Amino acid sequence: MTFIVAPVAVLIGAGIVLALIDGTRRAAGVVAIAALTVATVMLCVLLGRVAADGPQAVVAGGWPADVGITLRVDALGAVFAATSLAIVLACAVQTVLRGVSSRITLALTVFMGAGLTGLFLTGDIFSFYVFFELAMICAYGLTAAEGTEGRFRAAFTFAVVNLVGSFLFLIAIGALYRATGTLEMLAVAERAAELNPNTALLLAVTFLVAFGVKLGLFPFHAWLPAVYLAVPAWIAAMFAGALANIGAYGLVRFGGAILPRELGVAAVAVIALGGVSIAYGAVQAMSRRATREVLAYSSIGHAGYVLVALGLGGPVGLAAAVIFSIANSLNKALLFLSAELRGPLTAGVFLVGTLSVAGVPPSAGFFGKAALFEAGVDAGSIATVVLLFVGGALSFVYLLQIYQHDRWRPREERDVPTPKEIAPRAQRTVAAVVAAVVLALGLWPQPLLAIGDQAAAELTVEAPR
Amino acid sequence: MNLLFSVVIGALFASGVYLLLRGDLFRVVAGIVLVSNAASLTLMASGLTRGQAPILPLDEGRGLADPLVQAMTLTALVIGFAVTAVLLALSLGVYRSGRSLDLGDMTRREAEEAAEREAGELAQDVEAPEEATL
Repeated sequence: MTFIVAPVAVLIGAGIVLALIDGTRRAAGVVAIAALTVATVMLCVLLGRVAADGPQAVVAGGWPADVGITLRVDALGAVFAATSLAIVLACAVQTVLRGVSSRITLALTVFMGAGLTGLFLTGDIFSFYVFFELAMICAYGLTAAEGTEGRFRAAFTFAVVNLVGSFLFLIAIGALYRATGTLEMLAVAERAAELNPNTALLLAVTFLVAFGVKLGLFPFHAWLPAVYLAVPAWIAAMFAGALANIGAYGLVRFGGAILPRELGVAAVAVIALGGVSIAYGAVQAMSRRATREVLAYSSIGHAGYVLVALGLGGPVGLAAAVIFSIANSLNKALLFLSAELRGPLTAGVFLVGTLSVAGVPPSAGFFGKAALFEAGVDAGSIATVVLLFVGGALSFVYLLQIYQHDRWRPREERDVPTPKEIAPRAQRTVAAVVAAVVLALGLWPQPLLAIGDQAAAELTVEAPR
Repeated sequence: MNLLFSVVIGALFASGVYLLLRGDLFRVVAGIVLVSNAASLTLMASGLTRGQAPILPLDEGRGLADPLVQAMTLTALVIGFAVTAVLLALSLGVYRSGRSLDLGDMTRREAEEAAEREAGELAQDVEAPEEATL
């Protein structure tokens, strides 16, 4: 049980310390990295326990079970928490090694880590909202930190669009509480099955919009490219690799576990929305030249895959959504971390990310795509399989376009990095480690696939239809 | 009571969205404040029950008022308050750098920067082959 509460406690404690000291000092970097490492290790232990013994729960503060707030972690929450925090850790290490330029960034990073961990580990819908708001407010702050004009503009757009999403989510929570009379996810899922279909569908749509905004799905994506373009690469890597997981997790949790009947009703619409997102992201990405912009639009496209997997539904579809989200967040973090590094090995590291996104074995991305194909074939939907194939082919084209533009032109045509621009070895090592993880999961995918299947099985058992 | 709540929430939300769509940063912030209060009121409305105050000792047989929604609303209010502060700080930052609170100005500057970026990239692409032929 301590492993559920302790990571959040460690991170919040470290965040408070970091907020009080000057974050540009060396000591601050040490504190931040230490806290993030400790929390990541604890989450990995927790993930191991959940994989071995099934879901774990604890009621905060020793209250009776119906009164206190339940912290509950199942395979879905544990794998998302461990992945997201590991990515935050990698990004933080990279920026500490390069030198932190603003005094609040590390504190905000650690608080964002706390918010992310908390929301994946809670079993209570309202505390989910609180942790989620904590992570989002830190993200707005991180976007604006260092205070240049472009950063403020991006942060304002980011904050306004996402706040509307958050308040819609809050309204949906109120409505769900009114309809079911409880806030505990398991009980809500049980009682949601007996809801009036109209109420439930309205709730489901509100949740879809709220998480669609966070994930950057097609009609709600307007904030995403502006933000990813304005912030430094390591922050973009955290947003794409860790923060976007909130949207994916929320869709799987609220769509797959709490309102699966409504998801089934709207399956065609959900798949269509995902398909539009995939096509829009890919086409926009192909037409952009700036590396960061291509990656931002490709994130919009990849959000669509999660939605398609959910729309396919069933244990296979849910497992595909989980496996793909995890592989995708690793890929995105890797691409953002390595795209702007120059020097020996960085091209290879970036290429690993590219091939993983395109789904070339041996890489984590291959198994993400394979799970999606399996779900499509399983559901007997030819259109979906074609869509997945075309989407994959397009992502191959636009990512290799950047690769070719940045690294493959004749030496005299491109900007050859001056020795000053070559990234320090430590910084390159961080990107290389993430690439090694992506490759390792491609060579030995068993843990990833098993945890995805376990998550899907737990979700469908919890809410039998 | 329910009708009153829904009318008030609807009016608040509608005014908030109207303000959100105006071309002025301060009005956008005010719109967010209204939408956040509409959300808080929705939370309150989700647990409107008559009964005794939920404080021990309780009378047997009489129903309880739902204390949970009040706790949730308080939390939501605090979050809304913090978020407003963040938004005001952000709009101050935008104002300081551009001396304008007009959303049109903001998007225009953004578009100009994007055009410059594009132009820079294109110029580089066009120049490169010429250098190669030399």
